[in-house]
Amino acid sequence: MLLEVRDLHVEFHTRDGVAKAVNGVSYGVDAGETLAVLGESGSGKSVTAQTVMGILDVPPGRITAGEILFEGRDLLKLKEEERRKVRGAEMAMIFQDALSALNPVLTVGAQLAEMFTVHRGMSRKDAHAKAVELMDRVRIPAARERVRQYPHQFSGGMRQRIMIAMAMALEPKLIIADEPTTALDVTVQAQVMDLLAELQRELRMGLILITHDLGVVADVADKIAVMYAGRIVEAAPVHDIYKAPAHPYTRGLLESIPRLDQKGQELYAIKGLPPNLTRIPPGCAFHPRCPMAQDVCRTDVPPLYDVTESDAERGSACHFWRECLHA
Amino acid sequence: MPETTEPLLEVRGLVKHYPLTSGILLKKQVGAVKAVDGVDFELARGETLGIVGESGCGKSTVAKMLVNLERPTAGEIRYRGEDITRLSGRALKSVRRNIQMVFQDPYTSLNPRMTVGDIIGEAYDIHPEVAPKGDRRGRVQDLLDVVGLNPEYINRYPHQFSGGQRQRIGIARGLALRPEIIVADEPVSALDVSVQAQVINLLARLQSEFDLSYIFIAHDLSIVRHISDRVGVMYLGRIVETGRDAEIYDHPTHPYTQALLSAVPVPDPQAREHRERIILAGDVPSPTNIPSGCRFRTRCWKARERCALEVPALAVPAEFRSVSGPAAHDSACHFAEEKQVVPPEEPGEGPHRSSGDRFGK
Repeated sequence: MLLEVRDLHVEFHTRDGVAKAVNGVSYGVDAGETLAVLGESGSGKSVTAQTVMGILDVPPGRITAGEILFEGRDLLKLKEEERRKVRGAEMAMIFQDALSALNPVLTVGAQLAEMFTVHRGMSRKDAHAKAVELMDRVRIPAARERVRQYPHQFSGGMRQRIMIAMAMALEPKLIIADEPTTALDVTVQAQVMDLLAELQRELRMGLILITHDLGVVADVADKIAVMYAGRIVEAAPVHDIYKAPAHPYTRGLLESIPRLDQKGQELYAIKGLPPNLTRIPPGCAFHPRCPMAQDVCRTDVPPLYDVTESDAERGSACHFWRECLHA
Repeated sequence: MPETTEPLLEVRGLVKHYPLTSGILLKKQVGAVKAVDGVDFELARGETLGIVGESGCGKSTVAKMLVNLERPTAGEIRYRGEDITRLSGRALKSVRRNIQMVFQDPYTSLNPRMTVGDIIGEAYDIHPEVAPKGDRRGRVQDLLDVVGLNPEYINRYPHQFSGGQRQRIGIARGLALRPEIIVADEPVSALDVSVQAQVINLLARLQSEFDLSYIFIAHDLSIVRHISDRVGVMYLGRIVETGRDAEIYDHPTHPYTQALLSAVPVPDPQAREHRERIILAGDVPSPTNIPSGCRFRTRCWKARERCALEVPALAVPAEFRSVSGPAAHDSACHFAEEKQVVPPEEPGEGPHRSSGDRFGK
């Protein structure tokens, strides 16, 4: 396993009390594999990623338990200087909003070249040549000229390509992409996802794709982890989860999206709202919104049950996963 | 949906150009941002017209002109036969009452310093004839109830609500004056998936309850199909294809619509193996410098010489004129062909596909 997150807990101290953003998350990703982490806002999907990347703001954030094993090494035990060597060179991140992730007062060439001067100790001239090469590789037309331009001179899709180029620069083993195409139009989204998949294949990188879009996940993921209120509620290979979800939340999500290939009547809507993270309901956090909830759901936190049916591992944190799976 | 009577709303040749000037003292117009460049459509009573397009296609500018937040450069917007772009004063005010808007962002479209009651009730200060003074509070509470919020929340402020609840407040404000038409500009795109469905269902329920007509503007093609009777696809300031929802989604004839539909990720991992993707090259051209002839030709894989010379009209293409069928709908392409890009539904594939025995109901 390239990356393995084990029982991670992260909380934030806020004026309203302690917000438990991540409550025992475990997942793993192999080289060349794509793991999609699916969840709505506040599900803890981004906080988990930031913790893996080592860019969580501490304070207000606090990692209270867990391990993050990267090629067998626990990243949480490393010193900050050692961690910095991992970040960028071994694992890199692509953010949702490229315009605010890039520095507006530096040319894109300078920002790309910096990766090589800082991490690889290259001369500025060589680094500049590398920057042009990278921009070519992510198929930005007229790279030689555009390398001297500033982020605002690029379109949204082109800026996201620059973000990808920057993440790929040092050929990391793991890429974490946090909603990489959410801000883009569909036709541009397709271009960017294609590029990302192609580079991943070429470099055999592990990819963690964080998204709320069930469509994007179906297109690219090998396996999925569905998060709700800071926990993984269902983890499964991509085909299984769409065919027969084993958790009522996943099931509700799949039924609540309008579909392109059919005209629906009334949409199924999950009632209520995601919980406030300072006051997560006892028992199963989803129970107040769950149509299948019983008394046990209000008191006992469901573990991630092993629901493996075929050869690929599968888990569901629902006391009634059997009923859900065979409903 | 009635098709016989005259349309409630009729838009003809709608244009909005924003001038680009240079110089400080002597401002010279050096060009124009052609945000909307000749749009025609009709809306019947009780109908929903969906307008889809990518960012910068002019769909939001159309919305703003419909509710008179922007003055058109040219063209007509006829409401019950009367061109509202020429109205002013009292006549304009009474028309505006009947065409209301729901905005995209429930965080910035509600004044944070006003209570919910004041936000929704503000409309009655401008149109006092709708609700007499003593009656207003009760009216606002009724509206809150209608959109599924607790009427006791009338004195709360917007920050005390979640995104989905705020959008319900925005919808209640849109309903306050009992309008006939609601223009909704990306009303659910800022919301989480599970909350989106709640708001879409609410909009559908209100439509039948109050006999509303909707102009529903969005970039999400699946949502637009779900809610719309007819759909118009916009590209760079113009509608390039329009028709009933099945005509557009199952039988698109314009290459842009085909590319747009093929690019939408479908929540079905089986589809990825046998789905044909049309990946368009490049970006949308700048609306200050629109290509000659067909404005889509710079990204179109079918473009030929004729496309650069001749602007294609939005009409039923010649090859489909003699046939009656779903392909015979308006499409602004010289080389229109039918192409199925959304895979047809296979029966019995997974639980979320069956519409009969929906879970939880």
